[in-house]
Amino acid sequence: MTLSGEFLAFISLALVAVVGGVLLLNLSKVVHMVLALVFTFVSIAGIFVLLSAEFLAAVQILIYSGAITIIMLFGIMLTRHDDTNEPKTGRLRKLLLFLGILGFAFAFYIGIYNLDFGEASTTLHENNTEQIGIALYSKYIIPFELTSVLLLAALIGAIVLSKNDKEKEAKKE
Amino acid sequence: MVEDLLHSQPGILNFGIFFLLATVLLLVILGFVTYAILAERKVMGFMQLRQGPNQVGGRWGLLQTVADVLKLLLKEDTIPKLADKPLFILAPVIAFAPSFIVIAAIPFTDKLQFADLNIGLLYYIAISGLTTIGMVTGGWASNNKYALLGGMRAAAQMISYEIPLVMSVLGIILLTGSLNLNDIVAAQENVWYILLQPIAFIVFIIASVAELNRVPFDLPESENELVAGFHVEYSGFRWAFFMLAEYVYMFAMASLTTVLFLGGWLPLFSFLDFIPGAVWFALKFMFVVFLLIWFRSTFPRIRADKLMEFAWKILLPIALANIFLTAIIKEILKLF
Repeated sequence: MTLSGEFLAFISLALVAVVGGVLLLNLSKVVHMVLALVFTFVSIAGIFVLLSAEFLAAVQILIYSGAITIIMLFGIMLTRHDDTNEPKTGRLRKLLLFLGILGFAFAFYIGIYNLDFGEASTTLHENNTEQIGIALYSKYIIPFELTSVLLLAALIGAIVLSKNDKEKEAKKE
Repeated sequence: MVEDLLHSQPGILNFGIFFLLATVLLLVILGFVTYAILAERKVMGFMQLRQGPNQVGGRWGLLQTVADVLKLLLKEDTIPKLADKPLFILAPVIAFAPSFIVIAAIPFTDKLQFADLNIGLLYYIAISGLTTIGMVTGGWASNNKYALLGGMRAAAQMISYEIPLVMSVLGIILLTGSLNLNDIVAAQENVWYILLQPIAFIVFIIASVAELNRVPFDLPESENELVAGFHVEYSGFRWAFFMLAEYVYMFAMASLTTVLFLGGWLPLFSFLDFIPGAVWFALKFMFVVFLLIWFRSTFPRIRADKLMEFAWKILLPIALANIFLTAIIKEILKLF
């Protein structure tokens, strides 16, 4: 394998993503964890760019930067400022965890080793957004509409929940 | 030129060229920020029947901002004892970096541009959202209730106003059929989008002022209720980074408004095309910047409880109606 710019970019992005993930698990304060998550998501967006999926990359950042801010707000509001959790340790737990990781690594190795995507398409980067739009609105129109109905239901559910609270408060007073 | 560079082999030389270009751009932007602050103070001064800075650097106070920046750099860098130190240091960086990254995608003229992205518009909106995280982080890490309140407000405001901002430009995307900023400028060859999409322009300007955290939407850092919002505890060059991010966003947002609605580098009339594109771009850009300063000195701050209602109940429905209208008109025009 030659050392191309793409390879360098992939290695650094992958490194940041993995380090972000590990930090997310190991840090003790909520806001720190959320920030580690930011690094993971942004570097995953970078990997999308390397795969010529620029639309996906932009949407990844667009959605997750908003989502992460919300998670951070919840983290601030629902936890105490200097709250740290002590890690639970146990020999059996560690052993089981190690076995689990080994199994996962093995399964992934088998899955990836002889993976063949067939002919890689070379026109992915041309009008990326348009291609996704056409596919979404012709081939996958029913799943797309179902998802939007699901989202609408969630939205209305949130409104109903917050409306109820207000009425109860009004009755209390 | 950049196009060739992007496809060349990686190496020290390549890295050096990119580094140099980025440094030059950074210096240009720092120069802009220096004089934008001065212009803001001068224009606001004249609008309020004052002089504005007029001592340092001649009658026009040309060196006032330079002196201010020097003062900021020499100031003691304080970190509160109970602040979350790593995040306190990291927050200004997270807030500033995206503001500089977005400029890479903006075409100043047909030659003078860095990256010609197919998703240029989406790129801008996506990356600019990252700054909010820096603000919230800074507000939380300061361990100060005013800072935290400012950070919370910043998050709520940025997320709410991002939606009308995106919805208002959808009309332009519909008419152009592309997210590429170069294509959007090219589509304005005959008529600028400000004439074709006046409703979108108004919604966009309002939402962009809110995204820039400027008066009348400067609730996250309102001096007289939150002291200074999310950057109360910051001093010296860390505070300067937050300010810098704000003004770099002003640069980027004014450029984006020029590109989207005012025809970018295209001349006003075709017989005026002997004037270079860069001059046209600069003129329109300065007009938008002046508009932003004008808003700042003439509008009172909006009330916190009206802020969200305004975004969700007024701006968003208008932007959605604009999309419908644009789509219908486009289809009707197709029939003939």
